[in-house]
Amino acid sequence: MAVLSPELRGEAERIKARYPAGRERSAMLPLLYLVQSVEGRVTRDGLREVADVLGLKTAEVEAVASFYSMLRLRPTGAHVVSVCTNLACALRGAKEVYAAAHDAIGSHAEEMTEDGLLTLHEEECLGACDAAPVVQVDFANHDRVTPERMRELIEALRRGEVSEPSAGRAPRDFKEASWILAGLGDGA
Amino acid sequence: MTQEAVTLTIDGKEVTVPKGTLIIRAAEQLGIEIPRFCDHPLLEPAGACRQCYVEVEGQAKLFTSCTATVAPGMAVRTQNSSEVVHEAQVANLEFLLLNHPLDCPICDRGGECPLQDQALAFGPGESRYVEAKRTFEKPIPLSPLVGLDRERCVLCARCTRFCDQISGDRFIELFARGAGERVSIAAGEDFLSPFSGNTIQICPVGALTATPYRFVARPFDLSSVDTVCPHCSAGCNVKLDVRRGKVVRHLARDNLDVNDAWLCDKGRFAFRFPDDERRVTIPLLRDRGLEPTSFGEVMDAIGDWSRGKRVAFLTGGRLADEDAYALSKVARTAFVTNDLDHRREFAGGEAERLAAVAVTDRALSVTYRDVERAKAIVVAGLDAEQEVPILHLRLRKAARRGARIFVLNPRRTRLWDVAEHVLCRPGQEAHVLEQIVDGEGGDSGVGRAADALREAGEAGVVLAGMRLAEHPLAADVALRAARRTGARFSLVPRRAGDKGALAAGVHPRLLPGGRRVDDPGERAEVEAVWGELKNVVPGRNAKQILEAAANREIDVLFLVGVDPLRDFPDARLARHALENVPYKVVQSLELGSLEPFADAFLPAAAFPERDAHFTTWEGRAQRIRPVRGPAGLSRPDWEIFAGLARAMGGSLGFESLEDLQEESVGLLSPRAFSGGASAWVGAGAPQWIDELTLFTYPLLVDEGRLSEGASELKAALEEKPFLEIHPVDADKRSIADGGEVRVRTQAGQAVVPVRVTPDIAEGSVFVPFNQPGLAANTLLSGRFTAGATVEAVAAAEAAADPERLTVGGGP
Repeated sequence: MAVLSPELRGEAERIKARYPAGRERSAMLPLLYLVQSVEGRVTRDGLREVADVLGLKTAEVEAVASFYSMLRLRPTGAHVVSVCTNLACALRGAKEVYAAAHDAIGSHAEEMTEDGLLTLHEEECLGACDAAPVVQVDFANHDRVTPERMRELIEALRRGEVSEPSAGRAPRDFKEASWILAGLGDGA
Repeated sequence: MTQEAVTLTIDGKEVTVPKGTLIIRAAEQLGIEIPRFCDHPLLEPAGACRQCYVEVEGQAKLFTSCTATVAPGMAVRTQNSSEVVHEAQVANLEFLLLNHPLDCPICDRGGECPLQDQALAFGPGESRYVEAKRTFEKPIPLSPLVGLDRERCVLCARCTRFCDQISGDRFIELFARGAGERVSIAAGEDFLSPFSGNTIQICPVGALTATPYRFVARPFDLSSVDTVCPHCSAGCNVKLDVRRGKVVRHLARDNLDVNDAWLCDKGRFAFRFPDDERRVTIPLLRDRGLEPTSFGEVMDAIGDWSRGKRVAFLTGGRLADEDAYALSKVARTAFVTNDLDHRREFAGGEAERLAAVAVTDRALSVTYRDVERAKAIVVAGLDAEQEVPILHLRLRKAARRGARIFVLNPRRTRLWDVAEHVLCRPGQEAHVLEQIVDGEGGDSGVGRAADALREAGEAGVVLAGMRLAEHPLAADVALRAARRTGARFSLVPRRAGDKGALAAGVHPRLLPGGRRVDDPGERAEVEAVWGELKNVVPGRNAKQILEAAANREIDVLFLVGVDPLRDFPDARLARHALENVPYKVVQSLELGSLEPFADAFLPAAAFPERDAHFTTWEGRAQRIRPVRGPAGLSRPDWEIFAGLARAMGGSLGFESLEDLQEESVGLLSPRAFSGGASAWVGAGAPQWIDELTLFTYPLLVDEGRLSEGASELKAALEEKPFLEIHPVDADKRSIADGGEVRVRTQAGQAVVPVRVTPDIAEGSVFVPFNQPGLAANTLLSGRFTAGATVEAVAAAEAAADPERLTVGGGP
């Protein structure tokens, strides 16, 4: 089964066409987000299809996909909760926030909850140290998160609600976030 | 070309090198050894291993000498004169060894390992690391040929850079860059490059290992010899490693004029044929069955059969140059026949002479260096990756240096990413080349090729594969295309012995050096050495020899290193020929499918047992050297020919290899090709009689006899039979990709799995020549192209069809 429907394959070709001839390889990241928006992660088939669109070997695509933590190669929940535990956030209590997230989600980092809803991810730096500790839900930033706020965010996701992020609009879920990152969202 | 020179000092010694030289190269010129792992002179600098630190005066930090270029007045200090550098190198080696297992005693690389050697020479004696080292599955199979012992890897990226920069097939990559970085292949895929073995050879540790060599030998167990690969006309320089008399490994030797530092996987891994259990190393003579006997008795019998009789010689492009010369001489002097040939492709008439003479004419030659430096290259009728793989790598190198490359072929080749392909139906090549000559074509591949050749002038190269030699005028027009623009031109034969056989005159019309047998002046030059030739009428070519044999016009047929049933493009004709010749003499390594036909068998010495020469497609004669003596009673082919001459009551006039070489050297020096390129007639647009044109050529890894026993190579790279057809042609016939089709020609029919692909010219279908389960010569009538019809086969019909070939699956 193809990951990309014929319409999405057309979308992929349009993404590729954004880049100059001979530099199509630059379309790899948006294309990886595109296949991630379909399956909620990047599968082996997804890697192959991106390679096929770009005329590359699968290994070249996997080499890139395996570098970026925003591209997920393993089974991933509908929502990804990323907690920064890097220096600035750690100094402001990120360890406790992470522990709260871990307890509330109830599965190990990088794994998927049994209901397929949540994945916890320990992030290196989210680039917003002034708002430490920072947490992302489906790549939308939540500033100055306390353990309590962390639990609220997760409970909201369990109820099917997505909390307002500190800035901008929250994507519906991880798939929509990937769709936006592919450069296809309306608010992109 | 004037190049700016830069003078600097290294460890206080002054050296002057061209601007842009890397410090590590400049140090090499002074004989100063700086330790390194990732650096490789044929790969672009990476600075990955950090081992080659040097100090540059006035700079705060150490430099990696494999990435830093020289500057005027630079004062460089290596570990020899700088304590800081020494400490840095020791620390780096300790770091590289943190996770590296100390399993040298069981590692294939132990004893010839750059990490082992440099740890001894430059490293700390002991490690302070006491924690557990990383472990992985062992080995991780990248393909049936290549295993990865990942815990040994030092992430130098030589292997991945090779795949990126040299072979251009990036099956392996660095995954998860960062702390968890690793060399890997995409999940579920195989390392299917025909150049994969090079990554093993350039791995500076024991991380990549060759399955056929795994745990087979220690370096100090091996005796080695420097020789030349026998598999194709590329002429790659190899080192043969032998353990207890058996060849266990081929490695590439560096030769920047020929193979750089590379080998294809066939050249590297197809080395078991000399030790194949089917090899026969005693003479045989048919009595009731084939009975072992002595050389003397077989020779006498052959002499009795042959005196005053009609004798013909066929050979297959595998003979060394000296053997070909002896064959040419023995056929003409002792057996008084011009019925001898080494070829399988024939254009007929003048084009055939051009093809032959062009091959021996040094003025028309092209070298690897010419290819490398060319600005425009036209490759016609040649799938270099499959047929002359190292030339393929040179074409890629030329492309990296900016050459514009055009491939004129019925099928897209693996140059697709660096060359423009003009797909044309087999037989149409002359027509397309003619357009290039005339500068026609406008804004098309043909037009661009014409423009590129014209702009390149003397920096242009035209390479014509032997498939052009099958089509009247095609080679002729290719030469004309070169002449019109000043480009260099070469015909590129496929097999290791092809060029030498042509030069030696294993050809019905040509004597050594391309001299015509029916031209008194040219012939006299040969007769001055050989004595008067009694038969001066041009003989039959290989196809005509088989036809004459089938018509009972040949009494004795010599099959020297050739099996017409398997090698010749007409299996039925070959069988008729063998059935209708009274005496068949087989001279080879084994009998194979000729066993029921042979009346006498003469055991030949195999390639690792020979001292002789092979001539590359360029015309470069290179010496092959023996690593052991002839097996059993086998003898070098030239010695057998000398014996045959004696059995016929004469003599070849040489009893030693030196005498033979001394005699032949004058005759083999080529004659310039004189006169215009034959009678010129417009090739014109081709007329199609048949609906589709079937064409075939051998893929690199197939059922060829020199690949016998190379089981890992075949498991990795040998494809099952298939038929390729263009989508337009497939649609017309309701053929779906992945199904089966029945292909019919005048000669025969077969049911084959089909691939529908735009990578083939419309109107053409391709079947590889000799994959397991389908010998394409059962579909051919003496040429490598044939008119064909192709139709879809419903699955049910295919299953019920008794004639169906068992292809595409196990029992």
